[in-house]
Amino acid sequence: MAIRLSRRKITSYIAGELAAGKETTLLINQLAAFLIDSRRTKELELVVRDIEYELKNQGIVLARVTSAFDLATATQTAITHLIKEHTNAQTIELRQFIDPTVLGGVKIDLPGLQMDTTIGHRLTTLRTNLKK
Amino acid sequence: MEILRQFAAPETVNANGDLFSALGINWMMLIFQIVAFLLLVALLGKFVYPWLIKSVDERQDKINAASKAASEAQASAADAETRVEKLLKKARVEAADIVATAKIESASALAASEEKAKKRSEQIVADAQDEIQKEVIAAKIALHNETIELVALATEKVVGKVVNTKIDETLISDALKAVK
Repeated sequence: MAIRLSRRKITSYIAGELAAGKETTLLINQLAAFLIDSRRTKELELVVRDIEYELKNQGIVLARVTSAFDLATATQTAITHLIKEHTNAQTIELRQFIDPTVLGGVKIDLPGLQMDTTIGHRLTTLRTNLKK
Repeated sequence: MEILRQFAAPETVNANGDLFSALGINWMMLIFQIVAFLLLVALLGKFVYPWLIKSVDERQDKINAASKAASEAQASAADAETRVEKLLKKARVEAADIVATAKIESASALAASEEKAKKRSEQIVADAQDEIQKEVIAAKIALHNETIELVALATEKVVGKVVNTKIDETLISDALKAVK
């Protein structure tokens, strides 16, 4: 009879392996196989989020950067520096997403932290605050 | 004339013995008739007259009673007529009072209903004004929200066309500086 592993143990293992430099594809395949085998595919998003938390605790930060246009290298560097200042992480991995609906500015999603300076967000805030 | 001669002739008187005989009156028969008459009178007085008198008296009493009753009835009728007249007069007065009271009550009821209708109409007008005021406020709010929405949409459209890579880089740079 298989013992049900807690999500914390799973994410801790995966994060540790990733931090140790194991092959990412192999780890992802193992995780996917485990979740399918244990019928816990619904926990996928939570597992991914927890892995990001674990990586952050180990000094590796995965940052999702959303903008309307492709970011220049200087801007990416500036964002990386900003994230390092706020998280004290040794390694920053940026994943850039292009979303024209944000109109302008940048949105940075970090584990447990978000910075949204997009024009779309500002307009949404304007709508929310001014509407009666 | 012959009869007069007989009365005048002394022989005629003498021939019959006395005057009664001359007149054709029989003493015995006369006495008998007197006795019979007296007897008849006595019998009548004894048996018939009292009964007859009694009947007459009774009849008289009845007539008197009837007369008295008629008089009483007439008096009673007059009294009744008087009472009826009084009752009619009283009834007329009461009817007049009732009519007057009814008029007063109907007037007061009319005034009360008018007052109630006036208050009701004022209440309806006030409610309608409140409703209109609420609708105006709701319309103003809706207009305000729609204006904000339109401004936001217009801003999105304008910004979407105006912002280019360079402006975006500037925006991001300013934002990062502001965060630092």
